[in-house]
Amino acid sequence: MPKKILIITTNHSSYPGADAVGQARLGYGANTYIIRVPDPVMFPEDFYLRAYAKGIAGIIIMSSGSDCPYEGAYERLSKRIARVYEKMKAKGIAANRLKLTTICTVCRAAFLKEISEMEKAVAAI
Amino acid sequence: MNDIEKIEVDALVVGSGIAGLQSALDLADQGYSVAIVEKNPSIGGKMISLSKVFPTLDCASCITTPRMASVSHHPRIQTLTYSTVDAIKREGKTFTAAVTRKPRYIGEKECISCKRCEEVCPVLLPDEYEQGMGAKKTISIPFTNAIPQFPVMHPEHCIRCGACAKACPKDCIEFLQEPAPVEIKAKAVILATGYETTPMTAKKQYGLGALPNVLSPMAAERLLAPHGPYGRVLRPSDGKVPGSIAYVQCAGSRDKSIGVPYCSRVCCMYAIKQAILLSGSLPIADITIYYMDIRAFGKGYEQFYNNARAMGINFVKAKVARVTEDAEHNPIVRIERQEGTSAPEEVKHDLVVLSQGLVPGCDGTAFGLGVQNNDFGFVQLSDEMVSSAVTAGAGVFAAGTVKGPRDIPDSVVDAGAAAMEAVSYMRKL
Amino acid sequence: MDEKLTEASSKDNYRQEPRVGVYVCHCGGNISDIIDVKAVAAALAKYPGVTVAREYAFMCSSNGQDLIAEDIKNLGVNRTVVAACSPSLHELTFRNVLQRAGVNPYLHEHINIREQASWVHKADHDGATAKAIKLAQAGVEKVLRKDALNAIRVAAEPRVAVIGGGAAGMRAALSAAGKGLEAVILEKGPRLGGKLLELGKMYPSGEEGPAAAKKLEDLVLAEPKITVHTGAEIDFVSGFVGNFVINFKKPDGNMAQVKAGALIMATGYEHYKPYKGEFGYGEDANVVTLPEFIGLLKNAPAGRLEYGGREIKSLAMIHCVGSRQVEGVHKPQADGKVNDYCSRVCCTAALHTANQLKDKYPGVRVYDIYRDIRTYGMKHEEYYDKASRDNVLFIRHNEADQPAVTSDRSGHTVKVKDVLTWGEELELKADLLVLVTGLMPADISLIKSQLKLPSSADRFLQEVHPKLRPVELANSGIFVAGTAQYPMDVTEAMASAGTAAAKAGILLAEPDIPLEPFVAVVDEHKCTGCGLCPPECSYDGALTMGEKNGKKIAVVNPALCKGCGACVAVCPERAIDVAGWTLDQFDAMVDAIAKE
Repeated sequence: MPKKILIITTNHSSYPGADAVGQARLGYGANTYIIRVPDPVMFPEDFYLRAYAKGIAGIIIMSSGSDCPYEGAYERLSKRIARVYEKMKAKGIAANRLKLTTICTVCRAAFLKEISEMEKAVAAI
Repeated sequence: MNDIEKIEVDALVVGSGIAGLQSALDLADQGYSVAIVEKNPSIGGKMISLSKVFPTLDCASCITTPRMASVSHHPRIQTLTYSTVDAIKREGKTFTAAVTRKPRYIGEKECISCKRCEEVCPVLLPDEYEQGMGAKKTISIPFTNAIPQFPVMHPEHCIRCGACAKACPKDCIEFLQEPAPVEIKAKAVILATGYETTPMTAKKQYGLGALPNVLSPMAAERLLAPHGPYGRVLRPSDGKVPGSIAYVQCAGSRDKSIGVPYCSRVCCMYAIKQAILLSGSLPIADITIYYMDIRAFGKGYEQFYNNARAMGINFVKAKVARVTEDAEHNPIVRIERQEGTSAPEEVKHDLVVLSQGLVPGCDGTAFGLGVQNNDFGFVQLSDEMVSSAVTAGAGVFAAGTVKGPRDIPDSVVDAGAAAMEAVSYMRKL
Repeated sequence: MDEKLTEASSKDNYRQEPRVGVYVCHCGGNISDIIDVKAVAAALAKYPGVTVAREYAFMCSSNGQDLIAEDIKNLGVNRTVVAACSPSLHELTFRNVLQRAGVNPYLHEHINIREQASWVHKADHDGATAKAIKLAQAGVEKVLRKDALNAIRVAAEPRVAVIGGGAAGMRAALSAAGKGLEAVILEKGPRLGGKLLELGKMYPSGEEGPAAAKKLEDLVLAEPKITVHTGAEIDFVSGFVGNFVINFKKPDGNMAQVKAGALIMATGYEHYKPYKGEFGYGEDANVVTLPEFIGLLKNAPAGRLEYGGREIKSLAMIHCVGSRQVEGVHKPQADGKVNDYCSRVCCTAALHTANQLKDKYPGVRVYDIYRDIRTYGMKHEEYYDKASRDNVLFIRHNEADQPAVTSDRSGHTVKVKDVLTWGEELELKADLLVLVTGLMPADISLIKSQLKLPSSADRFLQEVHPKLRPVELANSGIFVAGTAQYPMDVTEAMASAGTAAAKAGILLAEPDIPLEPFVAVVDEHKCTGCGLCPPECSYDGALTMGEKNGKKIAVVNPALCKGCGACVAVCPERAIDVAGWTLDQFDAMVDAIAKE
């Protein structure tokens, strides 16, 4: 089985961004699973750790960044992810298996770049 | 013809740029039914083709697409794209608009937006959405986030090979489609027909159209867009990454010689924005803005201007006499400085963008209805100290740049007020 | 956020045993050429909780929709998963199918196997098929954990309160009344009109300020739906969307109260007041601000311009006093910040005044000392042109080289480095100095602190987003009109106020305000009252600690919650969730995806 990459997208920007990649008929691996949320800030730190424990190889959080419609959410999210990194380190999970990034509704190239980087990271596991 | 499509709504909105969309939403969200007529194949106007927008540098598409989606899903809004308003008549309290749906040559009810027709079509055309810098197929969906996602065929270029018809899984290519008349009855009309950039025909010395590396601001927007024609900033003549880029401000504004004596309000800010974006994608490029006065007058704009200066963008107070080019198509800008020295200089750049001004897109008086224009062809308000949208034509309101240049925040605000005036008017009928 | 369902269904099918219908779309080959849709349907048919799984050429077609409706009717399907194109295209289509068939429309999950599978995995049919199966299974897990949702309704006062009775406040009240809403204007001054009452001849119409105010005032007073309270001193404002309460003191000293569903802040501006000694202001009588000079010009007799008993033969205007200030060059305000913004209206106002001055007293020599002339409006450039034709002498300086003023009995001397003459240091003699002062927001600190209204770095009220929600404050139900948001002229304030009224009109279109159901919900049984969640919330008052049946628990005010879920992440008991997007759903989805 190929190593699975979980991609967390936002209703506001990165989910439509992933659609734009499809509309342009660009390609990436089928080991990618996109879920969408209002804002990834809702996930507790152990959500990520549980996902790794379940067998997910890599997680890309594609946030809305400065386009985020929720006040203060991006700041909280980045702090939260910093704590996830600490917990990952304690558990010996490579830091590059988690990536927090910002993808806009038409950021096709950036979307593909994030996936190819994560592919490299999970290949090294 | 006896099967004319008939639509009856509270309000007719002409134009689906950001102002038209916002007016329609602000009416529909208050319970009024709306028909929007848009001449282009997609709603979204000029804004949907912009890269990022000042002063927040949000991605323009991220701001426009939610509005477009809201309009297209709204239970009280009907959208007629690729349609023209041929005439509007007022009879008593009702306006009757004669509208023509132009043929796309596809069955819209059947089309599933799969682009199969586009994939197999063998004929390429310059893509006007990319300002001619890319190519599109003779049958194609106008752009990535167009709404609706229907392809349009251009029969004048079609070679009748039938490949699209064979590829279509819904069998909905209709080579014989005819223009279809529509009659819209409404109680109020909102004109939101927008602007065009100043034509440069009267300013040939700036070289737009003649010199390959002299660009319109709209072309520069596409170069900077994350989903633009080249995917990066290249100059058109030879694909070289430009190392030196210049902006010529007031190219078609504050210029009596071409009949545009007014300030176009947006050009300083879009030039600064493009300069900021350019310095992001081309960190070592020299960027110069030749200007008369920097008019950063909106909320957060002065700070935006200051950021641009701090980033090293070069602001030179100078008048530009003409733009020529050398043998390698490098544009040469002849300037007369207004500070420092006064002797004319010639400065060579790799790429020049003309900060074109704004002129009326459509003639607001074309339908009669009592609407009046000001000296420059923009719609005149009956008393702008009392209302921002009431025109001299009863029941006809104006939203956005149809009344004169204004930026996106001002247009959005303006559109809501126009909707509100239409509401007040309809309630009194 | 952008899709609005007309109204959620009333039949609560979700209480029944879940019966999931899964529908896989071929999209006429767009999906089925890459993904083995029959295999997907077959795999899903065996999945726990699934009653029926089908594939069809075009699920979005009328026939496709009928398939679902029939399964709801004949097989008792009460939740659906559709695997097809992007939800942006057809999620609403299928929610409507459920609604028409009597199932709550939120009991639907839309799985994207076109834009995010078949179109991007063209070379990997097996991989794309395996992915589609996993995604559909995750969709089933999600929809099994969904609850029926209905719009949350908050009863609202059918009234708009407009704070401030200047140009913007009057326009906002008129537009709200035009829509049929009751409007109440609370004006602290003795009459309507605000700053217009102090202004002279105004651009672009040429009317006197009080005359312009009178036109709006006449309309307001003739409108039966508008109540005006002048001399109203606001004491206490409280509440939230739909239910604001304003207590104010009337001129007779009695207290009164207004209840309103929406608030429009039309609290306006103040002129920048130069500090004592700023270009000689306050120390030398012959230094005045532009508003003071406009007053002087209005009342001055024809023939000879006099000020303080002396004839004024020459006059210098200095722009950007209190605007476009630079840290380190200019003295900060009391809050430690300089006014780094452009005040937008002063260039045009100054040149419009210079035009009038030159018309009345052609012999007066006028110097205009500026950095950039910002006459941006349609006719404003004409004032600039006329001033040049009238021989107003323009001197341009850089921000770092501020003009220096010295005064003696013979008048003022302005030393300024003029960049238009290549940096020459000019010494200009002027009998009168006019400081073209900028605008600052009126002092509304009391209301701001009571309602916790946000302001931007320039101290004006801060909109949520300049393009998406340009007149809405982060506090639901509170809108901003006119110069309370930023400097603008009367014509611009008309637009701003009209649109603020439109937003209030949309909010109060129905007696109850329907709010998105996607807000945080606390499970009272699980909540231990630990208090960790309120500090995570960015929206004041949305999540607080309260008591229920003697137990301390977290309490959500759905009228204030935006549903971001920041609180969800910190709850150790998993007692709080965003409706429609619960943590359990996502855990189950990840389980399904991760499973070999």
